[in-house]
Amino acid sequence: MSLNFISPLFLLGLLGIGLPVLVHLLTKRQVTHIKFSAVYLLRSSHKRSIRRSRPNRWLLLLFRCLAVAGLSLSLAHPIFSFTGNEVFLASKPAANVFILDDSYSMRLAVDGKSRFELAADYLTNAIGEMPASNAVGLALASTPARRLQGWGADRQTLGQKIESTQVSFATTQIGPAVKEALDLLESSPQEIKRIFILTDLAKNGWTEEEFPEILSHVPPVNINVVDFSPESSGTNRAAIQGVEVGQEFLANRRTVRIKAKIANLLPEKLLSRLPVSLWVDGKKIKDRWIEALSGPTSEVEFSIPLQEDGPLEGRVEIGEDALNEDNRRYFIYQPKQKLNVLIVDGDPDTVAHQSETFYLERALNPFAASTADIEPTISTLAELPRRDLGKFSVILLCNVNELPFDYERQIEKFVLQGGGLIVSLGDKVDPGFFNEKLGALFPVTLDALNQVGAGHEPFRMKLKDKKHPALKVFGAKIRSQMEAIRFHSIFSSSPREGKSLSVPISFSNGTPALIESTYGEGKTILFASTLDRDWNEFPIQPTFLPWIQRWVKYAARGLGAITRKDLLIGETYRWEDEGEPGLVETPTGAFKAFTVADGSASLFKDTAIPGVYKVYPASKNNLESASERVSNRPDPGVSPIGFFTVNLDTEESRPQKISPEEIQQLLDGASLKIIDSKDSMAADPQDGNFPMAGPFLLLAALALLGEGWLVRRE
Amino acid sequence: MVDSSQLLKSSELFSKVALLKIRAKDLVEGLLSGHHKSRHKGSSVEFAEYKDYSPGDEIRHIDWKVVGKTDKYHVKQFEESTNIKCTLMLDASGSMDYQPPKKTSGEISKWNYAQVLTASLSYLFLKQFDAAGLVLFNDQAVRHIPPRSKPSHFQNILNELAAMEPSGNTGFGKAVGQVIERLPGRSLAILISDLFFKHDDLEKNLKLMRARGVEVVLFHVLHPDETSLPFEGEIVFESLEDDPPIGLDPYEIRESYREAIQNQIGAYKKTCASLGVDYEFLQTSEPLEQALSYYLLKRNSLNKQ
Repeated sequence: MSLNFISPLFLLGLLGIGLPVLVHLLTKRQVTHIKFSAVYLLRSSHKRSIRRSRPNRWLLLLFRCLAVAGLSLSLAHPIFSFTGNEVFLASKPAANVFILDDSYSMRLAVDGKSRFELAADYLTNAIGEMPASNAVGLALASTPARRLQGWGADRQTLGQKIESTQVSFATTQIGPAVKEALDLLESSPQEIKRIFILTDLAKNGWTEEEFPEILSHVPPVNINVVDFSPESSGTNRAAIQGVEVGQEFLANRRTVRIKAKIANLLPEKLLSRLPVSLWVDGKKIKDRWIEALSGPTSEVEFSIPLQEDGPLEGRVEIGEDALNEDNRRYFIYQPKQKLNVLIVDGDPDTVAHQSETFYLERALNPFAASTADIEPTISTLAELPRRDLGKFSVILLCNVNELPFDYERQIEKFVLQGGGLIVSLGDKVDPGFFNEKLGALFPVTLDALNQVGAGHEPFRMKLKDKKHPALKVFGAKIRSQMEAIRFHSIFSSSPREGKSLSVPISFSNGTPALIESTYGEGKTILFASTLDRDWNEFPIQPTFLPWIQRWVKYAARGLGAITRKDLLIGETYRWEDEGEPGLVETPTGAFKAFTVADGSASLFKDTAIPGVYKVYPASKNNLESASERVSNRPDPGVSPIGFFTVNLDTEESRPQKISPEEIQQLLDGASLKIIDSKDSMAADPQDGNFPMAGPFLLLAALALLGEGWLVRRE
Repeated sequence: MVDSSQLLKSSELFSKVALLKIRAKDLVEGLLSGHHKSRHKGSSVEFAEYKDYSPGDEIRHIDWKVVGKTDKYHVKQFEESTNIKCTLMLDASGSMDYQPPKKTSGEISKWNYAQVLTASLSYLFLKQFDAAGLVLFNDQAVRHIPPRSKPSHFQNILNELAAMEPSGNTGFGKAVGQVIERLPGRSLAILISDLFFKHDDLEKNLKLMRARGVEVVLFHVLHPDETSLPFEGEIVFESLEDDPPIGLDPYEIRESYREAIQNQIGAYKKTCASLGVDYEFLQTSEPLEQALSYYLLKRNSLNKQ
């Protein structure tokens, strides 16, 4: 049996008992002694006159104290439980760490209450039931697992901490949370050490690699896992695992294609007529019903015409179920801007396909459509001095022998200011000119032409840096296709002293194939072969188009295609575009500042809520100090300079539940006990728990009535 | 060699005796001068009526004034009166020593009241050439001075009165048993007491005295506190006799106590009336003159019968 209070603060009202006690003491009369002659008469009279006695002052005090206590107790909302929870009672004072799973799967609703709310209630009651001699600590098990409260906090503080804790949108991390708990228990002098994990046993949170060594703990730690995944709970039927947005170039009209991947989470059950809707800029644009098979993800594709160049902000939603957080996924798409590329043809030819830039031009703008995001401009060397380089983002020098006189200075200036320069070689290239005139831009010197004859093994590319921003989109299959392309002529090069460079792609003989370096604000890229078919077969391979486009975009920087826009909850957003980011508007409408890491990169870490985040440029007002940034808003009329979305990691949505055997295996060395939350009255107010506010109020009323009756008698 | 403490005690006693004497004398003299001027002319010869002279009557008893007026011989006849032997029985038990917790100025305690009353009565008797004696008793007779009519006997009574310190339980029966044989027949006994008898049967003892031909006058003396119980607050009442103390709020029992004491007084009155005993209830707040005048009036009326 136990008594718990929902609003224990009202128990302070018990101090009010002091008031009637004070009144009693103040009105207490001094006892005097009198020598009297007829004491025997007094005695006989006393026996006869009980009915006419003064109000019993002790009874009066009792009634008043009961009235105050009853009122105070009723306001504290006491809950009386007939069945005590022995789980929380230890033979000796124990150190207890409660790990509360606040991952988003705990949002699953059970009879109008989420699992997290049930767990929080359970935790509050459990702490209330623990003897005062027990130490209590708290940890949270959502990513990143963290300590919520160490030792020494009183029950009220713990209650407030629990009350203020909100369920997150992150995934579960039981292992690191257990580690936090063990660290906390290490610092406790108590002999009995216990961990209580309040979780829904979502399997994704129990990763073996994340679990600490428990065997080494002496004395062994008792781990109690309280299961909040009752079978009677609602079902999380489906989740949107991802949304891909892309532009179609095949048609003349610019069309945006939105593809959503939907997972049916019901085992071996068809999910029929699942509504899927597309929302753009807060309006429902399209509706669809799908049949989602169990097992593989179902794909739903929406195509909408792109009307404006502005960013496309929206979400895909599916029908409601017990866990709605994974039923919507946000996306943002910045329609690709025109990228003006100046291609300098060093070996023009009247036969189009023999021209140096024939394949390159088509690769960058496949169908000469006006909707394409890269707009190449072909120029001969003779025309070059007349070109305004300021209109271009990238210059490609293809098989250029010599630049017009002193033109390399203009190119240096162009790169210094942030332009991209890509140089491909060929038979016209003069290594002497290159080494002499373009030495400032490139960190290498061209050595010699390497060629392989017919019947010999050709050179092949090796994509060394698979995580390079320009290469990471390519899967293994595409990479292997690229690495199979034959090159029969390549230039070898040597690095210049004191210059920094990177070689993301090399040839099979070890010579660099693609050399990347920075110069000023811009980038320079040297490809050690041709971009036409003179020295290799690359331009006619299907991989050429994305490859060259990626490198052009990469060289141009500033283009959103490179920067990752879709983050998961808790991931850090890194600003890689041009411009100085100032503030981020979160989905809740709050403005928060970037943090500056390593002195240069702007990072934004507060990605705890799913939705679309908008990046605003830095202004004089909000750059003054970090503290002011938070409260500041962007300058009026300023449009966002960037967007990114934050979505749930749907691994947490998967209904797989870890079994007790698997838990035992993970927690090897600990004394493990799995407790069903329903078995304990602490979590279930319907089972054996009785609200006592009414009876206490009645007690107060009766006490007041009694007091009034006594006083009236006087 | 005389002990100094004894000397001091003696001197206190002398002063008490002197004070008692002064009080009693003042009281009686004042009383007599107001109401009974002629009483000192002789208590043994009392004029009764006139009768016609007949031979054998004493010539000196012929009233010549009446002869001169009526020309007939009338002889004065006188009642024969004898000296009264009065025994004053004063209750000297502990309950008589009640002192009010808050004494007002000029207030006299119950014991002093009874002392003065006794002394005054004895002085009065002696002054009328009657014999006065004294019995002091609590649960038994403590002192007994037989009645004497010598004026100097007053001093003996005073001495005993002054020397007495009230103590012990109230018990009337045993004291009566001890002194009844020594009481002269057809004498007067004046009982002065608060009558807080727990066990004794007053009626039985009074009957016994009346059967012996003793005329009894009962002065029931109480302090006003003892009738009204005016105390307030939580009080522990400690007995002046042998009752265990009791703690209570007088408010709780005031009514029933008053009722009890009035019932007791009523019962005594009734008993006395049925036995031919003169009963007089006195509160110490009443002046002593009232008690004495009552007595004198009573005696007058008795003599006239």
